[in-house]
Amino acid sequence: MKKEAPALRDLAESLVVFARKCGADEAEVSVSDGYEFNVDVRKGRIETLIEAGSRVCGLRVIKDKKTAFASSSDLDMGTLKRLVRNAVRRAELGNPDEFAGLAPLSKERVDAAALRLYDPAIIALDSKTKIGLALTTERAALCDKRITNSYGATFASNEIRSVLAMTNGFVGEYAQTYCGLGVGLQAGDTDNRVEDSWSSSKRHFKDLESPEAIARKAVERTVRQLKPRKVKTQNVPVIFEPTQTAWLMGFLFGCVTGTAVYQKATFLEGKLGQRIGNRLVTVVDNGLIPGELGSHPFDSDGLPSRRTVVVERGVLKNYLCNHYAARKLRLESTGNADGNGVGPNNFYLEPGTVTPKDIVAGTKKGLILIRTLGHGLNSVTGDISRGAFGLWVEDGEIAYPVSEVTISGNLGKILEGIEAVGNDLEFHSPVTGPTVKVAEMTVAGE
Amino acid sequence: MHDKKLPRPTTKRDSPNGNAVPLGRSLNSPLPYVDHFGLSPADLRGVLQLALASGGDFAEVFMEYRTYDFINMEEDIIKETAEAVSIGLGVRVIHGDRTGFGYTNDLSLDKVRKAAQTAAAIARSKAAGAPAPVLRDRTRTSSRYIVRRPAHRASLRAKMALVREAYAAAQGFDKRIAKVKAHYSDSLKHICIANSEGLLVRDTRPMVKLVCVAISEKDGKRESGYWGGGGRVGMEYFRDVLTPRRIGEEAAREAVLLLGAANAPAGEMPIVLAPGHSGVLIHEAVGHLLEADFSRKKTSVFWNKMGKRVGSPLVTIYDDPTIPSFRGSYNIDDEGTTPRKTLLIEKGVVRGLLQDKLSSRLMRGRLTGHGRRQDYSCAPIPRMANTYIAAGDDAPEDILRSVKKGFYVASLSGGQVEDSGKFTFSVSLGYLIEDGKLTAPVKQATLIGTNIDILNKIDRVGSDLEFGLQTGTCSKEGQDVPVTDGCPTLRIEKMTVGGTS
Repeated sequence: MKKEAPALRDLAESLVVFARKCGADEAEVSVSDGYEFNVDVRKGRIETLIEAGSRVCGLRVIKDKKTAFASSSDLDMGTLKRLVRNAVRRAELGNPDEFAGLAPLSKERVDAAALRLYDPAIIALDSKTKIGLALTTERAALCDKRITNSYGATFASNEIRSVLAMTNGFVGEYAQTYCGLGVGLQAGDTDNRVEDSWSSSKRHFKDLESPEAIARKAVERTVRQLKPRKVKTQNVPVIFEPTQTAWLMGFLFGCVTGTAVYQKATFLEGKLGQRIGNRLVTVVDNGLIPGELGSHPFDSDGLPSRRTVVVERGVLKNYLCNHYAARKLRLESTGNADGNGVGPNNFYLEPGTVTPKDIVAGTKKGLILIRTLGHGLNSVTGDISRGAFGLWVEDGEIAYPVSEVTISGNLGKILEGIEAVGNDLEFHSPVTGPTVKVAEMTVAGE
Repeated sequence: MHDKKLPRPTTKRDSPNGNAVPLGRSLNSPLPYVDHFGLSPADLRGVLQLALASGGDFAEVFMEYRTYDFINMEEDIIKETAEAVSIGLGVRVIHGDRTGFGYTNDLSLDKVRKAAQTAAAIARSKAAGAPAPVLRDRTRTSSRYIVRRPAHRASLRAKMALVREAYAAAQGFDKRIAKVKAHYSDSLKHICIANSEGLLVRDTRPMVKLVCVAISEKDGKRESGYWGGGGRVGMEYFRDVLTPRRIGEEAAREAVLLLGAANAPAGEMPIVLAPGHSGVLIHEAVGHLLEADFSRKKTSVFWNKMGKRVGSPLVTIYDDPTIPSFRGSYNIDDEGTTPRKTLLIEKGVVRGLLQDKLSSRLMRGRLTGHGRRQDYSCAPIPRMANTYIAAGDDAPEDILRSVKKGFYVASLSGGQVEDSGKFTFSVSLGYLIEDGKLTAPVKQATLIGTNIDILNKIDRVGSDLEFGLQTGTCSKEGQDVPVTDGCPTLRIEKMTVGGTS
């Protein structure tokens, strides 16, 4: 794949030139070349083995302040040129948008190598090793007699090389890798099943959790749910485990994008500079953390990644913007352009100082939220209502597992009502956070 | 966990042109198939032969060429348009219960052969498989996609006019509408499948969708409404079945109605589900867990329930991919099987599973034509198409009248299930029922239950079967496919509502 890299760059640059020739005022072309390996094993046997390479090209043209997009997995030059010509023609049919246009060329450049996004060790892994990792993980989990069935274990790896070329002179390229290992399990008999999983995803093979550690966590997470009860409907403190803080942060992300703000699709519109949470809440988007999944040298506008404080000790400091949303809101781009929208880099809640154990110990009565089911998130209002699985806490100790209940509340009230933030932040995914205790949410049950 | 993410579909009880079950099983002549792959039957046979070289039991080549058009209107302008082309080919080899899969979007014969070799490696025997037979073309000469004016031949101007009409209708509906978004998309997929059973079959699948989101605002409070439609139809749909104007108005109507809505109640109570998109309940509670792979792996709570009672005798459930022009319908599934209407639950008893080739081979079950894949880069798995609960005998107004105090589900925004049978669905608009009448509108809440428990608690089934909006998408194992659900008015004796008051 490496030897094909210059071809990708040539392709992107030549299409940018061609777009200008077709009458585009501005144009941007991205090309990526990916290689994917995925093995699913179950009950000690390979279930599915996938290996493939694929390429995709995306382009944006702007003519008379009108924008058109196109993409293709067919990299035949004839097809691509036709798409460019069509895009220019389609742009002419749209309406002018005073905010349309590519981002200006930035003087700043982020050194992609320093971000450590690429691990040659992943490329060097042979199929047998990768299959072996999945088999070992599942075998370790199935050793535990409480585990009654397996969804199987998966090892996946990816290598992606991306090029972005723009009429403003920007040309950037970088390569990134990814590997992941996980297992899903069931415990209990058919009519009383509980399930959970654990996985580790990293850019570097050496950072991946061991098969034994993954198996142990998956087993623990599954069996602790056995023999659940349904509780009475009540308002109680809710402790979010880090996996749950992650979706809460994902929901918050959707509410702080510049796009949602100008579309009035978020309850946080008009709240810049205002207090939206208590002092324990500091939320950061950082595309520059070496080796992490959400790090990139530049975004899809060709702007360098940066660190942006979104919420500082409860005060909303920044909306996350691509160039377009920023122009519309008269703000600065935060380097969050992702395709035609706004996406997170590493978006996380800053950790606190207290241990998760102490958070539980300090809770007289409440629910530790361990899994959710269903969507039930409304960014326009901030309302949350989801199916929930958890552990009931009484007098600072875990009493019994809970299932078939719902949790509901409002993100605004949750941010105001955060009582404790744990010290256990880990970057398992680009959007993440530590254990968090929320003063009160409604748990609906019997 | 298996997801259904509907971008906030809604169903109105009194909708004059709601999606009633089409009575006719009319068939159309198929849309022309255009070959973009340049592989002759002899080439394909050679690829299949190579795929079986390590002794696989079954090999298959799936080719796909898809074009896609998209228009986005917001902030009062047609803000952007997009066009996409995707081409690719996937080769699958089954060896016992193992699957090898390779794909490529470079269709040169050497890359295709490489994909075949990748897939072949799953079988490791020294002996080559049986020679691939001569391929016989089984392409149908009729189609379930009723299309008079194909979207791919319509002008961009005509499509933009639809978007503008929906947008203007939402914006002009009420002073309290603060923002509107309208999206149009259409796609045309040419697929060709060849396999080592000698099958060669093609299909040309259209899809059209127009949706509108309206955001209302009053006294600093905001709500949103959603409506949309489409299916495997042509442009005439937006004149004859569902007009852009109505899509815009219904989105705005819901957004405005929600401004006055109270917080949902919390706790267990009797539930009445509106006909139409309440079918999400059946999709989650039953459909997913009767997909054959979950039974084969014994992860589904239903795996040992075939022939057993799991619900009230009032409950009969089908999945039918053959309904003309529905979003979830197809002429052939993504393995080339002709689909059939499949009985899943008969009067509360489990009668069938949704099968794909792999599971039916291993379970010796009959193929039902439910092997689907998102695209060429994915191996097929058993999926739903159009899932619905059959109409019962009760008049819908009698059902409502029978509830003294309860919760009425008017519109839904999706749901999720896990293999234990625990499932949720999210209500975007509900009403309180007091003394048999709908009273205060109520906003967002998630309902949770366990499928067998809830199926047993369905104690009234209406005669008014309707299907939900033709905009739904179902997610399973990272693959998205279009689906439709339907149901008549239903009463559930009690279920947990996740509100706050």
